Amino acid sequence: MRLFDYEYSAECYKVRLLLSILEIDHEIVPVDVHPGRENESAEFLALNVLGEVPVLVSDELILRGANAILVWLSRRFDPEAKWLPNEPMPAAVCQGWLTIADRLAAGVGTARMTLSRGETLPDKRATSEAHRLLRAVDEHLWFAERRGDDWLVPLPHPTLAEIACFPDIALCEEAGVSRIDYPAIRRWMDRVRRIERFTLMSGIFPASPPAPRTPVNQTQTESLS
Amino acid sequence: MAELSGWFPVAASHDLPLRHVFQAKLFDREMAIWRADDGNVNVWENRCLHRGVRLSIGVNEGLELKCQYHGWRYANKTAGCIYIPAHPANAPARQITNRTYPAVERFGLVWTTLEKDLSFDVVWPDGDWSVLRAIPVHAGPDAVAAALCKVLGAVPRPDIHAFAYALSTLCEAPVLALLQPQDSGKTVIRCLLSGGAQMERRLAVQANATLTRFRNIVEADASLEPVESEPVFEPVASELAEPPAASPDAMTVRVERKWQVAEGITGLTVVPTTGNLPAFQPGAHIDVTLPTGVKRQYSITDGPGTWKSWTIAVKNEPNSRGGSRFIAETLRQGDLLSVSEPRNNFPLRRDAAETLLIAGGIGVTPLLAMARALAAVRSGFRLHVFARSETHVPLADQLDGLLPAVTLHLALDPAQVAQRLAEVIGPHAPGRQIYACGPGGMTQSVLAIAEELGWPEEAVHFENFNNDHVIDTSSAFAVDLARSALSIDVPAGQSLLSVLRAHGVELPSACERGACGTCRAEVIEGTPDHQDAYLSRGERASNRHIITCVSRSRTPRLVLDL
Repeated sequence: MRLFDYEYSAECYKVRLLLSILEIDHEIVPVDVHPGRENESAEFLALNVLGEVPVLVSDELILRGANAILVWLSRRFDPEAKWLPNEPMPAAVCQGWLTIADRLAAGVGTARMTLSRGETLPDKRATSEAHRLLRAVDEHLWFAERRGDDWLVPLPHPTLAEIACFPDIALCEEAGVSRIDYPAIRRWMDRVRRIERFTLMSGIFPASPPAPRTPVNQTQTESLS
Repeated sequence: MAELSGWFPVAASHDLPLRHVFQAKLFDREMAIWRADDGNVNVWENRCLHRGVRLSIGVNEGLELKCQYHGWRYANKTAGCIYIPAHPANAPARQITNRTYPAVERFGLVWTTLEKDLSFDVVWPDGDWSVLRAIPVHAGPDAVAAALCKVLGAVPRPDIHAFAYALSTLCEAPVLALLQPQDSGKTVIRCLLSGGAQMERRLAVQANATLTRFRNIVEADASLEPVESEPVFEPVASELAEPPAASPDAMTVRVERKWQVAEGITGLTVVPTTGNLPAFQPGAHIDVTLPTGVKRQYSITDGPGTWKSWTIAVKNEPNSRGGSRFIAETLRQGDLLSVSEPRNNFPLRRDAAETLLIAGGIGVTPLLAMARALAAVRSGFRLHVFARSETHVPLADQLDGLLPAVTLHLALDPAQVAQRLAEVIGPHAPGRQIYACGPGGMTQSVLAIAEELGWPEEAVHFENFNNDHVIDTSSAFAVDLARSALSIDVPAGQSLLSVLRAHGVELPSACERGACGTCRAEVIEGTPDHQDAYLSRGERASNRHIITCVSRSRTPRLVLDL
């Protein structure tokens, strides 16, 4: 299985995350999108007429775009259907988050790539839309925490919702969108980064390991009533 | 923006789970807020002193906060920098301390103030309160306050706080709102619902929806795009820009507990008389000044991030010069002691793949602190303690907490010790480091065995309590002090250190018998006559340093960088 990949792309990062978490054997084929414009080469256009990464080439099929690849990898390599749930409610809620993820990608994700090429943003629509979405995600996660839910889909484990939404949220400060006003998102980011076999990319930093069950130095606890 | 005096909420208690770093802003100051594993809430300026990177993207390791950029580590509570990975073998200067803000956790909120020495004075109405979701609004605090009254019928409650409002229209239960001014263009509304833990989800959803509508009204005129103001940082403290003072500041501590921690060994737990204890690094010691005037060095045994008390252990030497006997026989619980700030001549590298800690008897004290620091970050280590018998193992109960990484080696004769050392030291591999502390004979054995097994000198670190050399003071020589432009004669029978001091050249010192290395000076020219037990063989051969309390000169003249 070969992933045509651009290291700096959040869309490709989504696929790399799931490949790593599900421990799927694969080969990375780097595509120099910027500044090499290899994605516009005849060779690459033969794989994807849109000239966009990621593209996944396996013995069985060729898939284009992060969501398609994530869905296929989940169905194919996650027999317990944890990452893409089967039950009607979680399956639908998960799809809802894939839609939010696409809107983040189109807005703040595109803005980030534009800025990374040294160009300026035509207007503030992308960042304003990002703040609107982040407010909604933060509200959702705050109430989820109150219910004891750690994840976007109300299940006891993460799903494709995390894989699809995390990259553009975690990279949004590169597009000038601060997360200071979204504390529930910041806590969720710690949880996502603690998923077993989570992998990093440039701009994404590791979270601290979780606290041990019995905190050390208990004798130091000051009463903070 | 104009700052208001007083305490302001900057986070909710539920914003601070363990191992998380919260990002906040108050009056243009950005803050990194984190709860340590001991429950303490830290409110710090949100920048690393090194390159100014935000500490809110750093790693909360439980009792230390590590900057994400170059790994500088800051201690819980004190914010003292205790480790710089680029200088793994050196102890950071004590002065490197991040700016902290006062922190109080009350009513489910974390409060801070930009003022110094302002006691917490917010009087809260009786009853249980639970904290709702905070709502940031893109408008200044005065605009938000006016709109709260006009749109939601809020009633100011200056008796509680300058920015407190009673609200009866948010949901079916009464709500108290507090404003946190982030900057001139943004204000966080923090609401508390009467009813405590019984806070109903329905009420929380209602209040959140009402506040969201309110925010949309207030922001309707302004753009949603945040008015990003540049955060304000305090200028770096002047003492950071200056060389460290020659002698560390003394402080007074009280003996909270005194007990026997092993046969012939007294344990002391000391607490500060005011404020908190300063940050220290694993391996650090304090000078304890006893009423007789003698100064003695004792290693701090505590784990990282300890700020309320220090525990030291003192071996009662039969031929004591007055230090250990006084502590064993005369000192009582409740007595006051004068101690120095922590100093570290035995710094611990944190980049080793495997750290071997080898202790002889009382030498376990600095290694206990190291073991705790390594355990806290789950770094691989083994602690080997050599002692005459089980009852001679100092602080054995505290070693239990580090099992199974601790091995005791009891009742061995010198030949057996040497054989056992060779077994536990084993061959050198990249990333293996040895720290040894104990009687002079034992650290010499460790050095010799490690060398035989092919260990490079820089991977073997040791600290001696004693200098076993008999000091020969029969030589006379001259010293030139390059920076002070002084030439001094050192006659036979007097130490270089005492002659320097007699001429007004201040050098810090501690043990004054060639063991601790505190009085080290740099040699520019000449060959020192090394008589100390501090410098390693390589350091001696390079002749670049001299331990001024015991060492002298082989050449008629020494030029020192003093």
